[in-house]
Amino acid sequence: MKKFITMLLVCVMVLGLFAGCGNGSTQQTTAATTAAPAADATEAPAQETEAAPDTIVIMAPPVTGNYLENLKTWANDFHELYPNLTVQVIETSWGDHNDKLSTMAQAGEAPDIAEISSNALGTFVEMGVAIDIAQYMSADRLADYDENALKYLSLEGTTYGLPLYLTIQSIGANKTMMEELGIDVAKIQKEGWTYEEFLDVIKQGTKDGCYGFVFANSGVTASDMLYIFGAGAGLSNTFTPDLKYTMTSENMLTMLSAVEEMTKSGYMPNYGVEAGQRMVMCQTGNAMIFGKAMPLFENNFKKNNAALEANDGTAVENSLPMDYAFLPVPTMDGCAESCYGTVDGLIAMRNKNTTDEHLKNVLLFMDYICSGERIATCMNELYLDPVCQSGRDALVLEEGRDADNLATAARCIAMVQAPPEGVTTEMTATAKKLMDEQIVPKFQLLLAGETTAQEVYDHICEAAYAAFGADNCVSGKLG
Amino acid sequence: MNSTKLKRQQTGRRLKFTNDDLWGYIFIAAAMIIFCVFTLYPVFSAIYTSFFNYKPFGSEFVGLKNYADTLKYSKFNLFYKAALNTLIYTVIVVPLSLLLSFSIAVMIMPFKKKTQSVFKAMYYLPGIASGVALSVVWLWLYDSSPDGIFNRLLGIFGIPAQNWLSSTKTSMLSLIIMALLSSHGVRIITYIAALLGIDNSYFEAAELDGATFFQKVRYIVWPLVKPTTLFLLVTGVIGSFQVFMNAYMMTGGGPDNSTTMIGLLIYNNAFVYGKYGLACAQAILLAIAIAIMSLFQFRLMGVDVEY
Repeated sequence: MKKFITMLLVCVMVLGLFAGCGNGSTQQTTAATTAAPAADATEAPAQETEAAPDTIVIMAPPVTGNYLENLKTWANDFHELYPNLTVQVIETSWGDHNDKLSTMAQAGEAPDIAEISSNALGTFVEMGVAIDIAQYMSADRLADYDENALKYLSLEGTTYGLPLYLTIQSIGANKTMMEELGIDVAKIQKEGWTYEEFLDVIKQGTKDGCYGFVFANSGVTASDMLYIFGAGAGLSNTFTPDLKYTMTSENMLTMLSAVEEMTKSGYMPNYGVEAGQRMVMCQTGNAMIFGKAMPLFENNFKKNNAALEANDGTAVENSLPMDYAFLPVPTMDGCAESCYGTVDGLIAMRNKNTTDEHLKNVLLFMDYICSGERIATCMNELYLDPVCQSGRDALVLEEGRDADNLATAARCIAMVQAPPEGVTTEMTATAKKLMDEQIVPKFQLLLAGETTAQEVYDHICEAAYAAFGADNCVSGKLG
Repeated sequence: MNSTKLKRQQTGRRLKFTNDDLWGYIFIAAAMIIFCVFTLYPVFSAIYTSFFNYKPFGSEFVGLKNYADTLKYSKFNLFYKAALNTLIYTVIVVPLSLLLSFSIAVMIMPFKKKTQSVFKAMYYLPGIASGVALSVVWLWLYDSSPDGIFNRLLGIFGIPAQNWLSSTKTSMLSLIIMALLSSHGVRIITYIAALLGIDNSYFEAAELDGATFFQKVRYIVWPLVKPTTLFLLVTGVIGSFQVFMNAYMMTGGGPDNSTTMIGLLIYNNAFVYGKYGLACAQAILLAIAIAIMSLFQFRLMGVDVEY
């Protein structure tokens, strides 16, 4: 009897272990391992799929504070519209989303829809799990989305996803402090500024216990500074329209020299600053301008001001009441004003259960949550403009938003330059590896004051020539 | 001649497969199934995948290309830099942590059992905490601003604030200090168990001969705990070669790839760039390197060790 019970327990343990390895998908459709044939884009997917029950799996992180809760509501609304279609939501955190998605995709068990940043698109296209969405949704619905935003989710002429938003990354400031110093913040927001003007402003802002400028630059966050200030130096894209690699241009040296100057000037910390520290440093009066910053931060400052006023203990420790200004990035060496932006969107993904009929349903839901009132709700939370017409039509701006910040954000969004057409998956992958393994590590060294801008530039050129060939890299100044 | 054959010859009859034998095999099977599914299969799968440009829907056979790409020397190939970083980390962390653990274990030994337990629990505690949580605490300790904990400590001695994790001069040192101070609970307990196994008569005889404390440690304790040291050395080297989380959480491999370890490189190739085949090839090469290192250690230290 003892042996029998022991055996039973062992069996339960082994079965328990295997239970976690099973396919959790509720779908019973046959696996499709080849590219799906083109569907008639003019047909209405809803009419075709009304009868067949289907489950759509979406995996998303909290794009906004309320996104995952909203997503469940929208999934239920969608189910009411299409009773045969059920949506299953896999909630992730920002910390584990990419790893989880990559692992699931590699195992052939990707969710039908997943949130990604446009920077990661190449990896999934290369894996063969991203789906050409134009085959499964009507052309008029696709036309609802801004072409500029769609380009971010396209490679080699194929569109793989629908944009949720075009996020702009720049710098932000303690507006109150800047105005106290007599700096015309509104003028900077309206007309932009040069690097020399920026340097003068951060010099004025530097005093005992306060840096004129702080940028989160610890570890991998250093790349943000490279991208954001790169936009001001004319490095808005990795490739030129004639598909030459831009990071080898003289513009890069200009930008690196500016960073070297800032680091050595004493107007910004010469030590590594964690991502979470930069806004706190601004709110506590330890820094005047900070990066990276987004329009959304206006909300953080407002909430902190309210908490300070209420004195309820929820405000940032030692913080001061202040207004927030979203600022454009300064231009360098006569370059046209620009802003760094990326698109976050939803892509349709192939898994072992993918069929053509299923994909039509997937795109139906994907379009549903990327457009109209749903996306307008998200954009209100993110302080961004929708990137589709139906979203703009549905948008009712929340009251109390700073008009100057709103106008600056709109101006910056308009300045974002979409990647050029014709960039291949291989080029994207090589550029990403070059950035991660060669450029960012050397840039970290520059921020630590352990090398010079010229040495970093020389290294970048050498690495880029080895990866792309000297003929495929820009030499001299861009433009 | 094996014992079964010998027994068969002695008894002159075939051995029967008894009910007890069956139960024995069934119990072994439970462990074997788990081992095969979660260890053996992934190993063979990794070897197989390393010969492919892996894609979930239609991998392409590339032969030894992934191995050639990994081993091809170039200034920009991170594999060699990562290998060197991992080696430096291992060469410093493993012996120092063994020495530290051994010293602490020897110092704990003279105490009464209850006090020993308190110390053992205290040293083991960091091992219970999640690695991620520990990393967050260490990030806080290594805060590079003048207000950072370690920088304040240095300030007491008039030493300027250090850019701990963002400078090539201190980044590796920071990871080494973290490894040394937060993960020796198991080693201390293992050493204490080994020390408890030493017969007291050795110490009594040594005391009669007038041996000092250090002579007792040198001539009695150290040789008698050599099997434990060998075990901890081999497992320590294996663990250090596979180090991943410290670099991932603390520095992301930077600055200037000064803390990029092989484990982090494999992770990036697999999960950031989606190059599973390449990552598998690098993992296999790492496994071979670990196996060679382990054999070398057994040869070097295992001559007079019954293990």
